[in-house]
Amino acid sequence: MTLARVDDLRATAGSAILVDGVSFEVVAGEVTALVGASGSGKTTSALALLGEHGGGVRLDGRVEVGGEVVVDSNGRTQADVRGRVVAYMPQHPGSALNPARRIGTTLRELAKLHDGDVEEAVRVAQLPGDRATLKRFPHQFSGGQRQRVALAQALTCGPRVLVLDEPSTGLDSITRLQLVQELRELTGTGLGILLLSHDLDLVRALATRVVVLDAGRVVADVLPASPDLPATGTSTGGQPLLEAMNLSASLRPRGRDVVLRDVAVEVRAGACLGIVGRSGSGKTTLARCLAGLHERHTGRIRLDGEPLPVLRNRTREQTRRVQYVWQEVRGSFDERRPVDQQVARTAQRLRGLPAQQAREEAQATLARLGVAAITAARPPSRLSGGELQRAALARAVLANPDVLICDEITTALDDRGTALVLDLLTELKTRGTGLIWIGHDLGLVATVADQVLVLDEGRVVEQGPPATLTTEPHHELTRRLVAAARIGAPQSPPVLSIDTRSEPRR
Amino acid sequence: MRSYAAQRALLAVLQLAVLSVLVFVLTSLLPGDAAELRFTETLTPEQVARLRAELGLDRPAPERFVHWLGNVLTGDLGTSLISGGPVIDIVRSSIGATFVLTVATLAIVVPLAVALGIVMGTRENGRIDRAITSVTLALSAIPDFVIAVVLVAVFSLRLGWLPATWVGGDLLASPALLVLPVAVLFGRTVCLLSRQVRAGTINALHAEYVVQARRLGVPRRQLLLRHVLPNAAVPGVQELARTGDTLLGGVLVVEAIFAIPGFATALVDGVETRDIPTVQGLTLVLAVAALLINLTADLACNRLVPRTALLR
Repeated sequence: MTLARVDDLRATAGSAILVDGVSFEVVAGEVTALVGASGSGKTTSALALLGEHGGGVRLDGRVEVGGEVVVDSNGRTQADVRGRVVAYMPQHPGSALNPARRIGTTLRELAKLHDGDVEEAVRVAQLPGDRATLKRFPHQFSGGQRQRVALAQALTCGPRVLVLDEPSTGLDSITRLQLVQELRELTGTGLGILLLSHDLDLVRALATRVVVLDAGRVVADVLPASPDLPATGTSTGGQPLLEAMNLSASLRPRGRDVVLRDVAVEVRAGACLGIVGRSGSGKTTLARCLAGLHERHTGRIRLDGEPLPVLRNRTREQTRRVQYVWQEVRGSFDERRPVDQQVARTAQRLRGLPAQQAREEAQATLARLGVAAITAARPPSRLSGGELQRAALARAVLANPDVLICDEITTALDDRGTALVLDLLTELKTRGTGLIWIGHDLGLVATVADQVLVLDEGRVVEQGPPATLTTEPHHELTRRLVAAARIGAPQSPPVLSIDTRSEPRR
Repeated sequence: MRSYAAQRALLAVLQLAVLSVLVFVLTSLLPGDAAELRFTETLTPEQVARLRAELGLDRPAPERFVHWLGNVLTGDLGTSLISGGPVIDIVRSSIGATFVLTVATLAIVVPLAVALGIVMGTRENGRIDRAITSVTLALSAIPDFVIAVVLVAVFSLRLGWLPATWVGGDLLASPALLVLPVAVLFGRTVCLLSRQVRAGTINALHAEYVVQARRLGVPRRQLLLRHVLPNAAVPGVQELARTGDTLLGGVLVVEAIFAIPGFATALVDGVETRDIPTVQGLTLVLAVAALLINLTADLACNRLVPRTALLR
């Protein structure tokens, strides 16, 4: 049964065409996937199901949901299907919960509005349904549970179509596998799902209908093959460029809340060290220790054999030599100044380049990463997450670092963006830069790194060359990461015992 | 984990301890003392020294502090060096007028500022937003005494509608007395408060959780009252605490112009006559009031949006 039908949808803002003639259907019990790079019009098309559009945007065409016409040739109609027929889950649903309201209050409010069933929704979203849980505030749940709360909210409305915007963003690969199974169960209840994603593996594992968008147009209705990731060079010998020994770190003073225990790492010039682990395993803390940002640590960190102090005590030269790019970059940009200026600033400050030369270098690097000069000349708020992520990488690269630490820098990127980033990093590597690549996706890490280190609960549980690690994993976690890296691969996904233990965060 | 309220209350107790020391030390630093000021022209130095001894002014500061603190803890704020009466009486007689003035001002300002803030916030940069912003900003930009003088000139002297000065009696018994002072205090407070509510509303309206609630079909009115307002109120409540502090401290200009025998007037009198016990007592009462107001505001904010963490 067709639940939603989009016919020849167009979205225009002034003379710019955002979506041009997109058509697709959402069918009960099935998953329809909208696939495309960021900016290809996925979200605009999906929000049209709710009759929603951005300021100054005009919708045209025909959108019919649950038998009601939501958009016709005159744009949005009077019909209101929000919640009742279509529920939309944003990219980070856990952050879309009101901090001032108990979750039960909002759930009951939505149930009353749409004649829904709180208990049923809570059960399907796999939350404990007791009174105490419903009385909690969002901040009293862990990140994973908050996503379930958001899902319960959407389900309480009793929708027939569920729109999921990039649901796998930032998930470690084991949790991602769990997501696949849960979405399958949801479609089993007769719900129609519209999946927006650039995660081709996820789409492959779930979708029965695929619409590929590029620059607002439908370009294909089958999945493209994964772009080939560039091959990596071989590691070189010699003295380690950056090394850390007996590194332990804690979140609170005097060694309380230990997150890293006795870790040793070394990076050589022109080599890449991959670090994998589930979320919360201490990957980012390790990166922050090396970058000098996490000061509550013990152990030795040396650069070229010289002790490396914490960031605020580093010389300008030491700062230049070790650069760090992290995941949530928006806060690290000054929102008032154009992005390209901020990128160029690194070269001026750390390498003493004249302004003109720094700007040219910034523009060239940004262009290589697929961020157009006209885009980069805007303030950060006008750039997408993926564009800003690449700008942050360009900013670090402009320091001409000897060691570059990349912490989950491709999570906001589509496959093309990832390929551009890897291309640049490969070149840096051949020029002798030592790389540390942190990721949760063993598949990607294995293609990039020469040596891989698996972290679990702050300890190194396994390390070795990626080929050995993926073919003969010894540790349980490595085995699970290897298995999880295979979802969406042609063969059927492996069945895992799913770890559902989750505790409230206080 | 200790509850937020317990942590916050503990902090308040610590603040209180530091505060009592500060009040004592700072007032002790005032140059000259009552003995000198009153009698230098008529008494010999020996007589001044004897008077000091009688008033206890010759003993070392730490000893005086312990003595003072002990008395304060038993509810005795000391004896005025000038009137000879207990300081608590001066507090009692002066705080009433200030309190009435504060409560009356807040009773008018708070509902109005919240309403204006929401109206402005929901129409960000629209014509109504700009109009209200211009008027309230202009009001807050004019100094108190200018507004006061103009109001007195027009409504008391020319039109003769309202009394210009307090001439004794109970403020509550003749509310007409309150109109002009409250009107003067109104301008600045309504501006600051409504701007905070406006900013809070705008933030909440753009927040992901409000966008999401709208997408789940929550109607606009319900969205504003239940999803936006509790979050928007937080900066408002904090600003309200600051406003309360200022108003309770007694707005000297207003008290002076309308001849209201309030807190600020008493404090200035105390300082002028070097009546240290009075100054100490009044300052302490004021500081405790400010502490309590801020404690209440923080607890209220935590109740509104429980995520607020202390001492992080």
